[in-house]
Amino acid sequence: MGIQTEEMMLNMGPQHPSTHGVIRFVVKSDGEVMTEAVPDVGYLHRSIEKIGEICEYNGFMPYTDRADYLSAMNANQGYAMVVEKLLGLEIPERAEYLRVIAAELNRIISHILSLGAVAMDIGAATPFVLALKEREKVNDLMEALCGQRLTYSYVRIGGVSYDMPPGFIERSLKFLADFEPFMDEFENLVPENKIFIERTAGVGVITREDAIAYNLVGPNLRASGVDWDLRRDMTYSVYPKLQFEVPVGVGSQGVVGDSFDRFIVRIKEIKQSISLLKQCFAQIPEGDFLGEIPRVMKPAVGECYVRTESSRGDMGYYLISDGSKNAFRVRIRTGSFTSMSIIEKISRGMMLADLVTFIASLDVVAPEIDR
Amino acid sequence: MENFAIHIHESYLYGLPLSVVNLIVMFGAAFVVLLGFVAPFAGLLSFIERRIAARIQCRIGPNRVGPQGLLQFLADGVKSLFKEDLIPKVADKPLFIIAPYLVFLGMFTSFVVLPFSSQWIVADLNVGILYLFATAAITVVGLVMAGWGSGSKWSMLGGMRSAAQIISYEIPTGLAALTAILLAGSLSLQEIIAAQGPHPWQWYFFDNPFTFIAFFILFVALVAEGNRAPFDLPEAETELVSGYNTEYSGMRFLFFFFAEWAHLYVLGAILTTLFLGGWQVPESLLASVGAESIAARILELVFFQLKIYVLVFLVVQLRWTVPRVRMDQMMDMCWKYLVPIGFFCVAGVAIWMMLFPDGVSFVKYLLIAFSSAMVLYYFYKVYRNFKDSRAELELNPFV
Amino acid sequence: MSSGYFNNIKEATVSLFNGFAITLSNMFRKPVTLQYPDKTPRSVTDLMPERSRSWLKVEMPICTACLNCEKACPIDCIKITTEKDPSGRVMSGFDIDMAKCMYCGLCTEPCPTGAIHFIPEFERASFSLDQMISRFVPEGEKVVPYKVPKKDKDEEKNSAKEEAEDKAAEAEPDA
Ligand code: SF4
Ligand code: SF4
Repeated sequence: MGIQTEEMMLNMGPQHPSTHGVIRFVVKSDGEVMTEAVPDVGYLHRSIEKIGEICEYNGFMPYTDRADYLSAMNANQGYAMVVEKLLGLEIPERAEYLRVIAAELNRIISHILSLGAVAMDIGAATPFVLALKEREKVNDLMEALCGQRLTYSYVRIGGVSYDMPPGFIERSLKFLADFEPFMDEFENLVPENKIFIERTAGVGVITREDAIAYNLVGPNLRASGVDWDLRRDMTYSVYPKLQFEVPVGVGSQGVVGDSFDRFIVRIKEIKQSISLLKQCFAQIPEGDFLGEIPRVMKPAVGECYVRTESSRGDMGYYLISDGSKNAFRVRIRTGSFTSMSIIEKISRGMMLADLVTFIASLDVVAPEIDR
Repeated sequence: MENFAIHIHESYLYGLPLSVVNLIVMFGAAFVVLLGFVAPFAGLLSFIERRIAARIQCRIGPNRVGPQGLLQFLADGVKSLFKEDLIPKVADKPLFIIAPYLVFLGMFTSFVVLPFSSQWIVADLNVGILYLFATAAITVVGLVMAGWGSGSKWSMLGGMRSAAQIISYEIPTGLAALTAILLAGSLSLQEIIAAQGPHPWQWYFFDNPFTFIAFFILFVALVAEGNRAPFDLPEAETELVSGYNTEYSGMRFLFFFFAEWAHLYVLGAILTTLFLGGWQVPESLLASVGAESIAARILELVFFQLKIYVLVFLVVQLRWTVPRVRMDQMMDMCWKYLVPIGFFCVAGVAIWMMLFPDGVSFVKYLLIAFSSAMVLYYFYKVYRNFKDSRAELELNPFV
Repeated sequence: MSSGYFNNIKEATVSLFNGFAITLSNMFRKPVTLQYPDKTPRSVTDLMPERSRSWLKVEMPICTACLNCEKACPIDCIKITTEKDPSGRVMSGFDIDMAKCMYCGLCTEPCPTGAIHFIPEFERASFSLDQMISRFVPEGEKVVPYKVPKKDKDEEKNSAKEEAEDKAAEAEPDA
């Protein structure tokens, strides 16, 4: 017998509640089960790389915020590092610490938002709002530090733009002290919930080989069992002076590299960031926050590539200088873009609801994909 | 009702035939029930839900319109009335238009048999419980029509999901309700309540271990039938945009939500009636205000409402606590867990009744003790969580 | 198999129980949100930190018309027009298009006197783009640039800044 059924083509996005920005997926589905989901990127393309060729070196800094707005500090840091390398600048120790403090704070709130978003996409609204509540507290700290809540542009070539305001360390430590119990509670509320486990365990499994072949980076890569963190393995800034562990996915719900593992790795990374911050606050030396910088930045002809570990993984800046005041070419390599490429492969035969979970667990941020 | 119609006919409208007067009276009563009774209930519940959700999420919630935001639902309703009434070009127009009213109808006709007190009931049908489940099934038709009629793929998926879901969950609902029906020996809601008593050890909830389990099955199944989270798959925002009501706007959209909140109330009412002793008030209390007086009826109403609102609170809290289940998991849960356990409970109750026709008070007290211990432990945990969070205490619900 | 069955029920119940305990305990916590704009404990601008980058303001009495800010801005939203006047060089216009501005703060850093700076005020939305242009030199007027008093050549920039700020405090800005 057999009933003739027709495949349905669904257009998920560009405006869809769970695409986290403007991404489009062309979904071929047979009822609840999809046969294919092809991501279609480019809806948020703002030519940021081209703008880099028009702006002066310092003037491009605010644009790097917009490349990844959820983790602007990390994006700032990478760009500052590449220009400094090209110029051969030494930056003061205190500035390095300030950068790491800002970057780790930013990593915490980027991850916590991502965790909340996974819960939200699975259908629990409360964890998302609670995550936002904590994020706002860090935003308050950031605002006190640099005056902005989202697009910080805190880092400057040669250092940072402001020193810590008075009382910043105490405020941050107080926040961290309150944040740890919150994380325990969050863990109790979300990843220990039976429905949550059922929804994420074994969903969107990325094997170790796939993760490497598709060039996944950051927490997504580590959740698949690859022990690789640029902060430790290609260290930069003051990370060699700090003690931290690199959490790796262990497959606590059966399979290594499923959505649940990605969730847990992010939780563990938040805990590592907390300890990193505490070390930084204990170690930070006195000194300048901005080094000697040339009045006009004209690096010698040459090219340079710098990789940093941003919240979404390996963020690379490639810069070619032709000796003028503007860069000849700026290229940003981001984690979300490569994460998108694996969706098509993994999503075959998935359920529609699982696709949403899978995308959320990859923590893709639309502006970072398109730049 | 008929006496009232005859009375009207004789005193005011004697020019008209009795059947027409009857019809007018019926419509009038329906109108009064809908506008004066059900709409405030649904509205009030929407307000309660929003405030609870807000406090769970460390927010304040609506508090601007009217005292403490109590009239927010009126403002929202008025706003929806003025919204443009969009009908998509590709929609199947008649279906699209009728669907919300069907959903509305399915939910609101159930109010007819709800026993608000020993005498306040619109119609004490002798098949009341069957009627309740039958009207709830009308809703499915409405939802599927909405899904299909919108001409949108997301809506259709939502409609299909709701059909699968509601039809499946009718079975555990029926099975769990059967335990109470067996015990009472009647399908009439009033008689089921009358068979229980005002005190917890007279409730069917604590009657024996099987009804105890059946209560939870009924709870889960009714939540699922009402498309409430964690079973809100037909309108899963993050998956299906908004499911069957994606294309709706204005008043029609509001009807869906009205129905949802009305269902919340009906859910509480069904559970209270079947397992928690309905409107039963302890006799001593009743005697103190005069058993036949209007005050006694009001007292009964208050007791009924209290139990309902406790249940409503739990359902609302459930929505804001857990994630949504997936389609296949939901079906699994129904067919692998709720239905077999439901059968087990029905059989268990039947055997129990055969063995102990008068019930076993020891088991009843044991169940009560167990439940109280759980509740105490629950509050202890709440207290611990609160202490651990180092948050400031704020007991005033009207911040 | 059968143990898995009952285990599932048990886990679901226990985790639900824990979840309920957390959400109920949340209900007793003090809400963290503010009732913006009318029921805040203090005025909102007071709640903003000192460094808040919200709205640009130029203290015209201490602006030296050095055009540093104009050059530093990556999106050219500052427009300064200078003219030759019998008395010397004067500014006939100082416009900042706040609709274009991305509040990055790059313009405030090279300013020798600290004339251009942020104020923690953000409720400046308007219905037309024209109103978003802050004009610091009124139409038709001319402003004579401030001259930093010549002191020692190696005088630190900071002291000039401080002095300029003192002056700014005295002279009520006309913008
Ligand atoms: S804040 Fe940035 S964008 Fe705005 S005027 Fe200054 S330099 Fe230009
Ligand atoms: S505001 Fe400052 S930087 Fe801009 S022209 Fe005036 S003195 Fe120069």
